[in-house]
Amino acid sequence: MMAEPPRIALSARHTSAADVAVVAAAELGGALLLGLFLLADDSRFIVALLVLLGAGFAALQIRPAIEERIVAAFRNARFTALGLGSAIVLAYPFAMQGSSYALHLLVVAQLYAVLALALNFQLGSANIPNFATGASYGIGAYTSALLAIDFGVSFWLTLPIAAVVATAFGFLLGFPSMRTRETYLALVTIAFGIVVHQLLNNFDWTGGPNGLVGIPAPTILGHSFAAPIELFGARLPSQANFYYLAAALVALAIVSARRLHDSRVGLAWNALRAHELAARCQGINVVWYKMLAFAVDAFLAAFAGSVYAAYVSYISPDNFTFLVSVTIMTMVIVGGMDNTLGVILGAFLLTLLPEKLRIFADYRLLFVSVVVILFLILRPQGLFPQRPRSYGGR
Amino acid sequence: MAVPLLETRNLSIRFGGLVAVSRVDLSLAAGETLCIIGPNGAGKSTLFNLISGIYRQSSGTVRLDGRDITGWPAHRIAAAGIARTFQSSRLFGDLTLVDNVVIGMHCRTRTGVIDALLRPRRARAEFEAAAERAGELLRLVSPGLYERRHTLAGTLPQADRRRLEIARALASDPKIIMLDEPSSGMDDRDTDALIEDIRLTMAERPGLAYIIIEHDMRLVAALPERVVVIDYGEKIAEGHFSEVRLMPRVQEAYLGQKAAHA
Repeated sequence: MMAEPPRIALSARHTSAADVAVVAAAELGGALLLGLFLLADDSRFIVALLVLLGAGFAALQIRPAIEERIVAAFRNARFTALGLGSAIVLAYPFAMQGSSYALHLLVVAQLYAVLALALNFQLGSANIPNFATGASYGIGAYTSALLAIDFGVSFWLTLPIAAVVATAFGFLLGFPSMRTRETYLALVTIAFGIVVHQLLNNFDWTGGPNGLVGIPAPTILGHSFAAPIELFGARLPSQANFYYLAAALVALAIVSARRLHDSRVGLAWNALRAHELAARCQGINVVWYKMLAFAVDAFLAAFAGSVYAAYVSYISPDNFTFLVSVTIMTMVIVGGMDNTLGVILGAFLLTLLPEKLRIFADYRLLFVSVVVILFLILRPQGLFPQRPRSYGGR
Repeated sequence: MAVPLLETRNLSIRFGGLVAVSRVDLSLAAGETLCIIGPNGAGKSTLFNLISGIYRQSSGTVRLDGRDITGWPAHRIAAAGIARTFQSSRLFGDLTLVDNVVIGMHCRTRTGVIDALLRPRRARAEFEAAAERAGELLRLVSPGLYERRHTLAGTLPQADRRRLEIARALASDPKIIMLDEPSSGMDDRDTDALIEDIRLTMAERPGLAYIIIEHDMRLVAALPERVVVIDYGEKIAEGHFSEVRLMPRVQEAYLGQKAAHA
């Protein structure tokens, strides 16, 4: 039996109407802002929305009390937040006015959110610079696609298999990496990413530079994911299938992230981030925990890869380049290391901005580097920085 | 005679041509307090690093409870029951005090990745119980730390950092705690308060053995029963502080040859 929970826990049980209002305002406001942004055509309107978002973050920077209030409200009104959040996610495609482009962007943004959350276990929790998340993503996608095309394996079965294969590669990468650290470790992971890209490009059975074509769409209870959804008289484009699949994956990633963060494992990762030698002297097997971080990253990234392959039905090595890894890393840095919400926000911003502001699309790399430099100068902790763990009946 | 809790035999380490620790024999019984003194650069901290597995010995053996732990990696030695603090405190500055102490319980808790993901209830219960115990430990070491348990460790003043390090070391339920210059960087008043806190924790856990490296002679005189003097990596004297301080060799090492003969 647990002893009596500490004082904080008692106050956390109490949900006030003000908390519910704050939670509803934050969630509906966020959803509205995202919706307006997705459906906007006029670039002046988009810039205005961005200015609004920037003003919001400036307010948080100047008055940290606002953030504290919102966080406290979400903690107190947990079930309201969860229920309303799920309802918004489920209903969202219906508000997209049948735009398959908006849904497509949401699918891609959610897959990147999963990738960024995967990398966050390493970069955020344990400060391991891994530039090979894109490679794990690719290994997942190719494993899944090859199984589906060559052996006719069902998508739902390829998901876990691809994850296990990528995890094995993650360990494979983690093992030699343990002989190096910091900058050199980063170099090893860059090399791994390039090796994977080159192998995919040169093997016959991976289709070489032409990649793999005709990856079958998943089916569930006889409903093909390539077909539109018709429900309650509304008709959603086929992208909606993958929207819901990706949303489920994001939910899985969030749950995993939270469970690991608030556990002995998450603490061990944080310990070796803060001070490796001191961590060893607390009995933490540093090598094992670093390899675990590689494995968890690869596991989640492979899930995203499988869904991506099934979604676009065509993959080539160029979908999984070094640039993809860099983009994922930027998302974690911009969003906030070791903060789940921050990382997801970073993924959405960096996926949607270049898409909506076409002027940036040609200068994608320049855009990413300017964003990273600005963030490292102005807000090095990211949009939402790491928060201290809270203990007791949450 | 019973097997000593900790025993080093002929323990030596060479860095290139330099012999930093040379053929040191130590022996420590359960519940005993041993103080290691010696001039700067004598090899005291190096000796700690050898025992805690951060350095690998060039020759010699270390035994804990009769078991040979020579050359074990640091995390296994910590799990075997030797905890330590560092001369310049090495806390996890971006984590809360509770987090720091819970990390100290790492080798006494079991949750792995699979448990954390698939058995959240069990993992959570273990985690909360650890946090609960961490609070008690902080209260034991210093009520002031307990009050601040949800603040970040990096914001603590020097004396409290030391106390937190001691709490973190206690968290692993060790058989031996090695304190590397607990009073370094503190003024007299802080040192007196620290001595008092260390005494309290000693009284609380009578079976626990301590090895303390110290420069502050007031602390040496106040706490330990037995003193070992190290100079140039070698053990030059051993005995009670009141006897050891009178030995000519010790005075030479500390004050220089001339002063000792003056």
